[in-house]
Amino acid sequence: MPQRIQTDVKTIEAILNEILNTKSPPVGRCRLLSSGFNPGHALNITEDISGHKECIGCGNCIDICPFLFREPHRRDKTEQRTSMALESIVGEDCDRCGSCILVCPQVDTTIKNYVVNHRMVEVMSRLGQRIGDEDELDLDLFLEEAIDQA
Amino acid sequence: MDFEIPEDLKMVQSLVKDFVSDQLRPLERDILGRAGDLSDARMFLPEETENKLVKMAMDTGLWGVGVPEQLGGAGLNTLGNCLVEEELAQTIIPFSFGDVSPILFDCNAEQKEKYFLPVLNRQKYAYLAFLEPETGTQSNIEMKAQKINNHYVLNGRKVTFSRAGKDYFAVAFAATGNKGNREGVSCFLVDKDAPGFSVSGGEERAGWRSQTREPMSLVFDHCEVPAENILGEEGKAFHLGKKWLPSRRLIRGARCVGVAQRLLEESTTQAQSWQSFGQFISKRTSIEAALADMAVGIHACRLVVYEAACKADNGQSIRREAAMVKLFATQMLHGVADSVAHIFNGPAYVAGLPMEKLCRHALATSATELALELQRSIIAQDILKGLKV
Repeated sequence: MPQRIQTDVKTIEAILNEILNTKSPPVGRCRLLSSGFNPGHALNITEDISGHKECIGCGNCIDICPFLFREPHRRDKTEQRTSMALESIVGEDCDRCGSCILVCPQVDTTIKNYVVNHRMVEVMSRLGQRIGDEDELDLDLFLEEAIDQA
Repeated sequence: MDFEIPEDLKMVQSLVKDFVSDQLRPLERDILGRAGDLSDARMFLPEETENKLVKMAMDTGLWGVGVPEQLGGAGLNTLGNCLVEEELAQTIIPFSFGDVSPILFDCNAEQKEKYFLPVLNRQKYAYLAFLEPETGTQSNIEMKAQKINNHYVLNGRKVTFSRAGKDYFAVAFAATGNKGNREGVSCFLVDKDAPGFSVSGGEERAGWRSQTREPMSLVFDHCEVPAENILGEEGKAFHLGKKWLPSRRLIRGARCVGVAQRLLEESTTQAQSWQSFGQFISKRTSIEAALADMAVGIHACRLVVYEAACKADNGQSIRREAAMVKLFATQMLHGVADSVAHIFNGPAYVAGLPMEKLCRHALATSATELALELQRSIIAQDILKGLKV
């Protein structure tokens, strides 16, 4: 639930790239670079927390992490579902896929847009190398042969 | 425009039709199992039955329908192969008229004697080692082949879905050039007793375990292969079978048509024999609608396949047509399977019914990652080039 006026990526591009290049879940640091709670948040408290950048512990990042899908036993290490927990249980095994940034409710849309447009590899573009042309066959034809054996 | 199947192919079609209905269909229970718990289900027919069927098929002159005549097959054209596959697909019996992967068609004269003909005559089994356990269906070839003196040394692991047999050899794809380069992959024929080559898995399984298909795993540990065992040219593995592979997609499309045809037959019988509220369910409009939808889908798909097959036989490029066939046939069969579930008033994939097994076989090649997106992409490329579809 970030603020209406969000972080301008141009001002933080260098550090954002640094974060995204590091092999560690980037969601926590991207959250800290964001604008924080907006005044219209729905938390049942009287204190004014607009602009605060805490992790709300929703656990989205833990649920989306592809590495934890492959090694689910790591989830047993902690009950916590914060970005801190993600960093400690995934650490340097991070795939740098960027999924945790996209699912975090505390990260600015500007940062998410930057990640999607500049960082994420579009899945469909991989198709290109599997499609052949007039002279060369599609790799898929070989795949079909391999699967389709009596 | 002539929609008649040529006379000679009609004869082939009726020959195969009779073979399937007289010889194969009565054996279906042997495969599916008669017991409710599938304890007597099997993966393949007993050896003596199979040998009998093979001999019968050889006597009809249809052995090796897809194999070119110069390689000792019957050398039917694409349309003929589609017709044969359509009939064969109407039974769950795992039987083919000498089906050999076209990857092997590019063997030289020595390899033909030593490897190809034994495969065609069922004395040897070819284990197609293309998939790798780590990469899944990404079609990256991680296995390495290094040329040392007059032989290659292969290192890596493969999985194969080929049928296991006593005497076998592997058709292994390995990278001889730079990793990730399409041009850097070569294909090797690896003998059964080559040093460092071992196979595990592949035991025939009975009972409910026969329902799942598990790959064999092949390990190449410093496996030495003589240089003359390279199939095709070095670094040109993806050029193998160029002439035949695209039309295999049409043949698989024809398989979907055959399977759907069988499903339609089964559904019709069910609709005419099952009663609810004192009335045969075939009287109900929603059942009629389901039957009609199936029939329309099958007819449309059959025409797409035949038209593409005729084009292939005329020597035209069928890249787009083959993609259309694969995409449409898959979607059609999914739709038909839904209708079958509707008519059977429940899932048709209950183990022990032929429906489930039929669909599983026909849809296997479309179930890989991005398989259908790939076809859409191929079709779209042609449209975007400005070609009229």
